[in-house]
Amino acid sequence: MESNLTNRYIELNMGPQHPSTHGVLRLKLTLDGETVKKVEPVIGYLHRNAEKICELDFYCDALIYFDRMDYVGAMNMELGYLEAAEKLLNIEPPERVKWIRVIMAELNRIASHLVWAGAFGLDLGMLTPFFYVFEEREKILNLFTEITGSRQETNYMSIGGVYQDFNDKIIFKIKEFLSEFPKKLDEVYNLFVKNDIFISRTKNIGILEPEVALSYGVTGPMLRASGIPYDVRKDEPYLVYDKINFTVPISKKKDVLARFIVRFEEMRQSVKIIQQALDKLPDGPFFNPKAKKSLMIRLRGEGDVYARTESTKGEFGVYIVGDGSVKPYRVHVRSPAFKNLSVLPYLSRDVLIADMVAISGSIDLVFGEVDR
Amino acid sequence: MAYEIKEEKGKDGRKVYRIDRDHLVELMNDLKKEGYDHLTLISAVDFRDRIEVVYHLEKSSDNFSMLVVKTETKDNHMPSVASLWESANWDEREQYDMMGVIFDGHPDLRRILLPEGWNGYPLRKDYDMSKVQYVNMDEEGNDYVSFDPGDGW
Repeated sequence: MESNLTNRYIELNMGPQHPSTHGVLRLKLTLDGETVKKVEPVIGYLHRNAEKICELDFYCDALIYFDRMDYVGAMNMELGYLEAAEKLLNIEPPERVKWIRVIMAELNRIASHLVWAGAFGLDLGMLTPFFYVFEEREKILNLFTEITGSRQETNYMSIGGVYQDFNDKIIFKIKEFLSEFPKKLDEVYNLFVKNDIFISRTKNIGILEPEVALSYGVTGPMLRASGIPYDVRKDEPYLVYDKINFTVPISKKKDVLARFIVRFEEMRQSVKIIQQALDKLPDGPFFNPKAKKSLMIRLRGEGDVYARTESTKGEFGVYIVGDGSVKPYRVHVRSPAFKNLSVLPYLSRDVLIADMVAISGSIDLVFGEVDR
Repeated sequence: MAYEIKEEKGKDGRKVYRIDRDHLVELMNDLKKEGYDHLTLISAVDFRDRIEVVYHLEKSSDNFSMLVVKTETKDNHMPSVASLWESANWDEREQYDMMGVIFDGHPDLRRILLPEGWNGYPLRKDYDMSKVQYVNMDEEGNDYVSFDPGDGW
């Protein structure tokens, strides 16, 4: 075997089975000692071409492939598709459905951010918070099981409605969860930020300037941690977000710690949103009669529509082209995690390997969504 | 202005600019100067006789209001805008990978989701899905794609 001792730079493969790469990310590293000189993300290990599968199915059937994109925040994926599909098919969901969707999307946002916090802790070598966040997430998933019949890939929303209505028992249970959750969240938050090692490993690491972030197409908590208050829920309100009072947390610090703080603040805002939505939840039908089951496969769409929603990772956009038949002609998904990952090579120039792990952890990668 | 824009309104109420391919970069340059600093998405749609390429732009100074630019190509070639927005880099690679649009002037045009050497472009309407392709490893450890399942399968 040829000796590598004379080479200054070492090439190293990290992943696709490395525990800190969140699934199947492979990073080709060029190292100078312990300093990263160059990173090249290699993606596509989980590629299923959901966009092509969507073209082969009816409008209503394409929904389940969206569940399996960001499987941690599946409700937000369904919502993103339905926002586009309902615009294309000219179907308006009833008022009650809009509020129910807001509640489910925000509950899922909390669950997704909790998973991220746990996994991020693991990246940095903290095992303890993982169990605390998963205990809370489990409560949300139990609520989901009761409402939708499934834990993660719920397939709860459908065109023009939802699968099942809320009843008083569910509303009581969600309220019960919300009354205890903020206290638990503070507990978890303190587990992180009162830890000196955590602070020293995240503060001033991975600084992302706002102009660079915009140029790379970064959105979501990462962009807000760089000081730009872009949130689709405020800038182009969908569902009933314009009737709800909440703030968009931003930070001017731009580093990994800022992204952590922004996500935790977002969870507190989500609690506020759900509480308001539960109070304002109107009575009425839970699906549009134009889209009931027997009629759903006959829905036809023509033209092209782009709808954006704020998923847990950023701007989730769905571009659908219809040719007047019962199947979509082309579906294209703007995956926020895909765009956020593209900034990793820029952020990890001349940082230590351990810092690069912290940076890639702060992006919040879910590979079902990056690879689609 | 040296170019002609056809302005229309999309089904979703967004402003759509339609431009021919030769003047795309010129228009994009002007739009960037105008303040569209966030290129959200590049999509390509295969209409069999032509491929339509759709750009979604956002303006950060104006609450991220959106503008759609549409153009089309008949010979699969498009000028690249990767020098204007970094995000176009991966987007154009994705469209090259899935739809076979060749972006001239792109700094690093390779497949991104599929392995190098894949036959055909999956999102084209004439892509043959009945032919299964396998990724195998040769003796030196490099991946290669073939229609033959090989030993590994």
